[in-house]
Amino acid sequence: MIKKTFKIPDMTCSNCAMKLESLEDTLDGVKEINASYHKQNMVIEFDDSKLTEEQIIAAVKKKGYLAIPA
Amino acid sequence: MIPKKQNPTIDPVIIVALGVVLMAVAFALIVFKPNTQSLNGSSGVWSQLIVAFITGITTGGLSCLAVQGGLLASSLAHQIEQDYVGQAGQTKKSKQQTPTRTSTALPILLFLSSKLIAYTLLGALLGWLGSYLTLSPMTRAILMITIGIFMIGNALRMFNVHPIFRYFSIEPPKFITRYIRRTAKGTDTATPLFLGALTVFIPCGVTQAMMATALGTGSVTMGAALMFAFVLGTSPVFFIIAYLTTELGARLEKLFMRFVAVVLLILGFVTMNGGLNVLGSPLSFQNLTRGLLPSNGDSATVTGSSQSPVGGEIVLNVKNDGYFPSKLSAPADTALVLNLITNQTYSCARDFVIPALNVYRLLPDTGTVQVNIPAQAKGSKLFFTCSMGMYTGQIVFQ
Repeated sequence: MIKKTFKIPDMTCSNCAMKLESLEDTLDGVKEINASYHKQNMVIEFDDSKLTEEQIIAAVKKKGYLAIPA
Repeated sequence: MIPKKQNPTIDPVIIVALGVVLMAVAFALIVFKPNTQSLNGSSGVWSQLIVAFITGITTGGLSCLAVQGGLLASSLAHQIEQDYVGQAGQTKKSKQQTPTRTSTALPILLFLSSKLIAYTLLGALLGWLGSYLTLSPMTRAILMITIGIFMIGNALRMFNVHPIFRYFSIEPPKFITRYIRRTAKGTDTATPLFLGALTVFIPCGVTQAMMATALGTGSVTMGAALMFAFVLGTSPVFFIIAYLTTELGARLEKLFMRFVAVVLLILGFVTMNGGLNVLGSPLSFQNLTRGLLPSNGDSATVTGSSQSPVGGEIVLNVKNDGYFPSKLSAPADTALVLNLITNQTYSCARDFVIPALNVYRLLPDTGTVQVNIPAQAKGSKLFFTCSMGMYTGQIVFQ
């Protein structure tokens, strides 16, 4: 399990954080996601043998946001 | 082969949508009815409810949808998916049963109904909490200014002026959002009902501003009525859009947020200005412009009707739409009696305040109340206002 932080610069409200956290339910290998509108970031704990950084960025993009590795 | 054309039937969703719209319009008509006397006989109460309702119907619905729409959409998606799977699993005997969208209307309606009840209860709770804060007009003024700053801060956040303004948006605790998200996956009828109630934990910016206003009312009934009016106003828009699209396009959402921000900014300034009035501050919009623009309507009324004190008494007419004249002249260095005359006055103008003298009087709807004004220095001004900071005026000592 590794923990990675991504900057999400285009969050507009706290609901955006909730939307991103819903990736917990759809992305295989994710243990926990903590997204913060205040900090404009997302901390994701995941199994790197099942999930890659690129896959996370793509999943975030699908939700309508840009994820930049911090 | 799925037939392209089906028999035209009235979608139950449209009926329900119309019902929600009619209910909202009926409420608005009652509110807008001229000379309506309110719960407590104060039209000031109604004006607050009107503002709440209009805020709901104009900005609240879409703003709430932007925040809570995803939740509802998710719940609906699961519900529809479940229905679809259920229908597909049925035997071909039920051929005549075409997939309908009735299942969409009911969850939305349940969601909105429970949301309305939950927010009304929340409004009552906030009003009750506020009753401990609004002990005096001064406390109310401070609260109003704080609410105004909160609204302005939220508007500036929406305009993305500076990252610091993000902190004006309250982030619900993670365990709550996680719980709500997981609940949204339920497929039973109780799910949207439960979700609607849970939205109190994820209010949008406009709702948060309205919650702050409910707190400022300092009354259980008024807090509940205010949130009820607001959420009722949001319901038709929420319903229609939730049904039609469930989520706003990103571009439209961005544009819409600008509109919401402008409305919130205006509301914020109005609330803060009301607070300044109740504080008796010369910096409020009315007090500033009264000095700068002596030829406005109010002043013309003053010059038209001489209000020079006779026998150490001055008269102020307290009407439903304010104080007349709003600018009084009085001699300096003389103690005076201010006669406040009401005649079928039901607005908040009855809650008369002179902040500088710490005078607060709840006037009868018809009658005369006397207020003793101690001697004031030449050139000084005494500002007076209603307890909500809506109607104002001043006495100039010469």
